[in-house]
Amino acid sequence: MWQLLQREFHALQRDGWQLALISYVPVLGFLFLWWLFSAALPQQLPVALVDEDHSSVSRELGRYIDANSVAEPIAYTDIQQAVAAMRSGEVFAVVRLPYALKQDLLTGHKPTIDLRYNGQFLLVGKLLSSQLQLTLADGLQQIARAKQLAAGVNPAQVDVRLTPVAAQSTALFNRNMNYVGFLVPPMLIALWQLVAMLCYANSLSRELREQSLAHCYQLGIVRVLAAKFLFYTPLILLHGMLLLVMMYGYLGLPMAGNLLWLLPAQLIMLVAVWLWVQAMFFVMADSARIISMCTGLFAPAFAFMGITFPTSNMPLVAQWWRALIPSSHYIETHVAIVSHGQGLLTVLQQSTSYLGFLLLLLPAWYFARRYGRALYPERQASGALL
Amino acid sequence: MSWWRWIWLDLLSVVKDRAIALTLFGGISFYAILYPSPYLNNVPTAQALVVVDLDHSALSRQMIRHADANPGISVKGYAASTDEARQWLIDGRASSMLVIPEDFRHKLLRGKQVTLGYGGDASYFLIYSAVVQGLTQAGLDIGHQVQLRGLLAQGTNPTKAEKSLDAISLNAVSVFNKGLGYPAYVIPGLFLLILHQTLLIGTGILGAGQWRQHGYWHQLSPLAIVLCRIGTFTLLYCFFSAFYIGWCYYLYGVGLLASLGQVLLLMLPFLLATACCGVAFSTLFNRRDLPTQVLLLSSMPILFVSGFVWPLTLIPQPLVWLSQLVPAVPGIMGMLQLNQLGADWSQLLPRWLQLWGLLALYLPLAWWGVHRRCKQLALTAA
Repeated sequence: MWQLLQREFHALQRDGWQLALISYVPVLGFLFLWWLFSAALPQQLPVALVDEDHSSVSRELGRYIDANSVAEPIAYTDIQQAVAAMRSGEVFAVVRLPYALKQDLLTGHKPTIDLRYNGQFLLVGKLLSSQLQLTLADGLQQIARAKQLAAGVNPAQVDVRLTPVAAQSTALFNRNMNYVGFLVPPMLIALWQLVAMLCYANSLSRELREQSLAHCYQLGIVRVLAAKFLFYTPLILLHGMLLLVMMYGYLGLPMAGNLLWLLPAQLIMLVAVWLWVQAMFFVMADSARIISMCTGLFAPAFAFMGITFPTSNMPLVAQWWRALIPSSHYIETHVAIVSHGQGLLTVLQQSTSYLGFLLLLLPAWYFARRYGRALYPERQASGALL
Repeated sequence: MSWWRWIWLDLLSVVKDRAIALTLFGGISFYAILYPSPYLNNVPTAQALVVVDLDHSALSRQMIRHADANPGISVKGYAASTDEARQWLIDGRASSMLVIPEDFRHKLLRGKQVTLGYGGDASYFLIYSAVVQGLTQAGLDIGHQVQLRGLLAQGTNPTKAEKSLDAISLNAVSVFNKGLGYPAYVIPGLFLLILHQTLLIGTGILGAGQWRQHGYWHQLSPLAIVLCRIGTFTLLYCFFSAFYIGWCYYLYGVGLLASLGQVLLLMLPFLLATACCGVAFSTLFNRRDLPTQVLLLSSMPILFVSGFVWPLTLIPQPLVWLSQLVPAVPGIMGMLQLNQLGADWSQLLPRWLQLWGLLALYLPLAWWGVHRRCKQLALTAA
């Protein structure tokens, strides 16, 4: 076995891309994605403010919007210009304070404030919509309070009159609604899975490229596969650990459980990835096609994790496809440990969901045997398993 | 050999190469179904809610019914305490909780303010926002009813009472993606990225396999080779783009605000620049399995840096500058402006010119790469 491991090591030394894959490529990818989301909390998103009233009330409302850290109001004199700015993507929302806003308020009419937000940019649009509505409601409440007091309502009663039912909403498991904590872990895990898949696929494809598959059968194909497993698993696990340490150690993302329990979870996920790649390798037996098929399977992993869009709302077919991707099983354990502070028991319970991946051994075994026969017809007679 | 004959041979080699055919024809049709499939139900609905009702009054039950009636929420059960409710969340039986305080009805009737507690698993933002929105609405409804009852009891005229409750109406409407659906948000940008990446992979695999050997591909001058290959792939991708931007956009109900002429005018430099970038890129490889790997790893960063998932204003400037060299970035933003936001052509012009600029940038690089490869081949042959 030691010699087989040495064989892998020498092969790795010869392959520049494989070396890059296990060293700087994933690090660059991780750093790029983390830097991209480093702002963490959306701030100062441009919002067009069209004040047609120019009254003390409308200016007061404008100041309220300005005070919100999420929105950065930009004054437009003309609604047409504001709409054009929204169409070109310069602003994400338009707030229009209508003409005679103050007058209508004083004379008991019911003015309407228009708020249009860009639903095409869903994440930003939804956030701005709720923030602007809350801010405007706050501002309007101040005005309504003055009105109530002027109408002779007892000051102690004003708040109750305005909002009898107040709400206190708590973002559990991600207190400050941090986008880094929400988006970056699943993204990095998806990227990590891709790197793992590529490393193992390259290591197997090399036997085809260098026409050494026959040699592998000579050495014993099961032993060669075991050597590849033993060689690459610690390397990729190291990446996985680096990733966790970077996110929960260095960046200080909230971590409720114990980081160590993620190690067995990652190991199980890697085995599932290996099983996929191995099956594809024996079925396809062409390096470019193995990569193409594995890409087809693993590239959309992020979308299927159920973090951005709830799993329960996915159609059944999508849920089935989701079950084929190892990272969607892993992410559940990840959330359970990181957010909910669960322990090793959960890891063990959830690992049973991977059992289906063992079925991948069947096509791998069948096709491996076929290659074995093609390469060494005499082995068939001796009744060798592989 | 005439240019047309060359392009014809090139198209044939694309179709005959199983790895390229699998990526282009297989990948494009497969991804058209696969990527949107998780989002087909549009918006998150019926998120599991656990209720901690400490009041057990008619009004608290009414509040729960209001919450359950909201499409975003489905009441899954009751817990005796907040700790028990928290356990529901941890076990995954519910994704959010509502806590109604002990003296909810009593306080409201006595004209005192009460506070409802909402909690949601913010590890999942979409679920959290759906739940909080639904519960806030239910809370406001109840508050409104109590206020109205109070005013009516004081003998206020019903019309006047309604009016005095909300002095100003706030008309908040989402534009461009009216239903706030997830497919309409993700698909336009994603499909353009798939076109971009598969085009680069196709040219990459083809080039990586060809440049080191003799064949029809070396029968023209390097510049002619580059131009012809751009022609081949642009021609092929006209069909793929028609499938994605025409049929698939329509099928998935994505906004179609632009005219056909405008879309064609935008797609032309997008495809040309991408194909040219692909040819330049293909001269970097000796192995056919490498282009897919490099592009696979770059897909997610390009998607997130293109500015429709995470706003450009929050992305560090150096990354934004760097990303402007990738044809997909101005391509995606241009298509979003044109088709989803209904922008004028004049607003789009900078991005359109940028795409032509990228073509002008990659053309000499592609020529230089192919030229270098031809020279290498001549040297090894000699």
